[in-house]
Amino acid sequence: MKKITPEKFPAFVSALLGKGPLWAPVADGETVNFTLISDPVQVTLDFYNTTLSPKGVFFPQSEEIIRYTLGKERIESEAVPTDVKPQVVLGVRPCDVRSFEVMDAIFESGGITDPYWKKRRENTAIIGFAFDTVDPADFYNAFGIHAADERGSDLFLVKQGPDFLIKAITKKGEELLSALGLDDASADDEKYYNEKIARGPELKTRTINLEGAPDKLTRAFDSPYWQKAAMACISCGTCTFVCPTCHCFDINDETLFRKGARRRLWDACMFTNFTLEASGHNPRTKVSQRLRQRVSHKFSYYVKNFEVTSCVGCGRCTRSCPVNIDILSVAEGAIKEGEKQ
Amino acid sequence: MTDAKTIETRLKEEAKKLLESGVVSVVLGYGPGYDEKHPMPFAASTPEEAENLVFNEFCTANMARYIGRYPAGTKLAVAVKGADSRAVIVLIQEGKVKREDLVMLGIPFKGLKDQATGREIDEKTTGATYNPVIYDVLLGDLIREAAPSPYTVLAELQSMGRDERWAFWEKELGKCIRCYACRKACPMCYCDPCFVDQTRPQWADKSPNIQGNLMYHLTRFYHLAGRCVDCGECSRACPVNIPLYLFHKEVARECEEMFKQKAGMDINDKPVMVDFKVEDSNDILE
Repeated sequence: MKKITPEKFPAFVSALLGKGPLWAPVADGETVNFTLISDPVQVTLDFYNTTLSPKGVFFPQSEEIIRYTLGKERIESEAVPTDVKPQVVLGVRPCDVRSFEVMDAIFESGGITDPYWKKRRENTAIIGFAFDTVDPADFYNAFGIHAADERGSDLFLVKQGPDFLIKAITKKGEELLSALGLDDASADDEKYYNEKIARGPELKTRTINLEGAPDKLTRAFDSPYWQKAAMACISCGTCTFVCPTCHCFDINDETLFRKGARRRLWDACMFTNFTLEASGHNPRTKVSQRLRQRVSHKFSYYVKNFEVTSCVGCGRCTRSCPVNIDILSVAEGAIKEGEKQ
Repeated sequence: MTDAKTIETRLKEEAKKLLESGVVSVVLGYGPGYDEKHPMPFAASTPEEAENLVFNEFCTANMARYIGRYPAGTKLAVAVKGADSRAVIVLIQEGKVKREDLVMLGIPFKGLKDQATGREIDEKTTGATYNPVIYDVLLGDLIREAAPSPYTVLAELQSMGRDERWAFWEKELGKCIRCYACRKACPMCYCDPCFVDQTRPQWADKSPNIQGNLMYHLTRFYHLAGRCVDCGECSRACPVNIPLYLFHKEVARECEEMFKQKAGMDINDKPVMVDFKVEDSNDILE
């Protein structure tokens, strides 16, 4: 285990930068987001959680797949190579670290492998970061995640007053840590770290009982509950874009004059166009149908397909929703409806 | 000023009366959210549901946004604060709803708070209109104090040179993630489909790149010229805190200067962009 004092923090970030591209939390006004940084001064670890989840590290909002030039006779095109250099992502909260595992289910182990996701996952070292406080919107405890959960991280950070303690969790983490030239932590520091991890579960978030939720939600499909739940919903895409486990995408050709690219873009089931078919038919024209889809996909369909809930309780959608729709309350209400049916 | 608790009590009473007598079939107001600081837009359609209505300083949502959800002719009661009432006026002017179908429950209020920061909302982010412009029932006493100018906040932007201002907007709009919360929170954004959702032709890149973002936001800004009532909902909805209100205020200021008319202040006005008067300013052509 190593220790990072505030004076050594810039050297620590510089050492990480020496290992390859580095994603770290960067503050811009009141927003903190994971950004590919070039200078240690950009980094802040003084935040509760980022507005956008770190999923963009592996699954960027816009990804070029093919580049092309439109000619008179023919179209010249080339696939964009997916060579990814080893990179590091610093300061990921335990619930977000778990989200990568949840997303692996669809992008890697679900039968079809997504090469973009997989390559980046293989080449990325994750530095987890323990929570010290709880936001009222969070409910990650419901998924067996605790505030100082090391699972899924290669290295794990714990705040100790002004200092940070960092421990290697995996072999990849060990190799990285030994190459950073940090000072060793004392026996007291190790004790502090271990206690912090052990006491992680004492920091309580809200929780939800998800026993039998997939079937209960299926039974609630036709319930008028959804119209009530969706009354306030304005059908924007904020919840899905800030979500660490929303993974739906669209493929778009974007051309400027004769040059263009085929890009994979985040899409959102909350948008009217999401289900618009080429024929002009749209099976989900109502806001309530779209809200039902988002909640059911996370708490029912995904569980049926991959045996894991597509939510980690990070609280982002609840915090960022312009009209304060709380996914936990909506899911809870729908599950109750399913029990009645 | 009448306190929020009293307004809440009166809101419940009025809503119950209106629903019991059948004068309206729905009351648009605020209901409880996951905690007190996060009330939600709420539609009460029975006297029992009216019991759930709430009002406090965090009730920032502009309920005019929801009027268009109901079929034409639906009798609606709408809780309106200052800017919200102006939004309803614009909707009436534009023929989206009829005055006779609405019962406006006016809420004079000063000291709304931003849910995310807990800070008081002032003229820097919204028009800070304390009193509703039109109402059928007043739920509190009118506020005598004059509201400050909504345009003083523009001083910094106006002092910038052209290049500096362009750089400012490029940086701010560069943050956009295209979740479209701004247009969805906006009571005046009701186009179906919105130009940015059209695919033949596709007017703007869907990628959150600078040209796509500029295309979306600049078009939206100008489409709201003379219509934006400065309620501030777009800026509060933005998850990445883009100060959209600054652009809207600048356009509103120019409109007011050129056409001597402020959006949503008089039900008999025509929106400036659909009206023509011989004495209209020619500055718009410059």
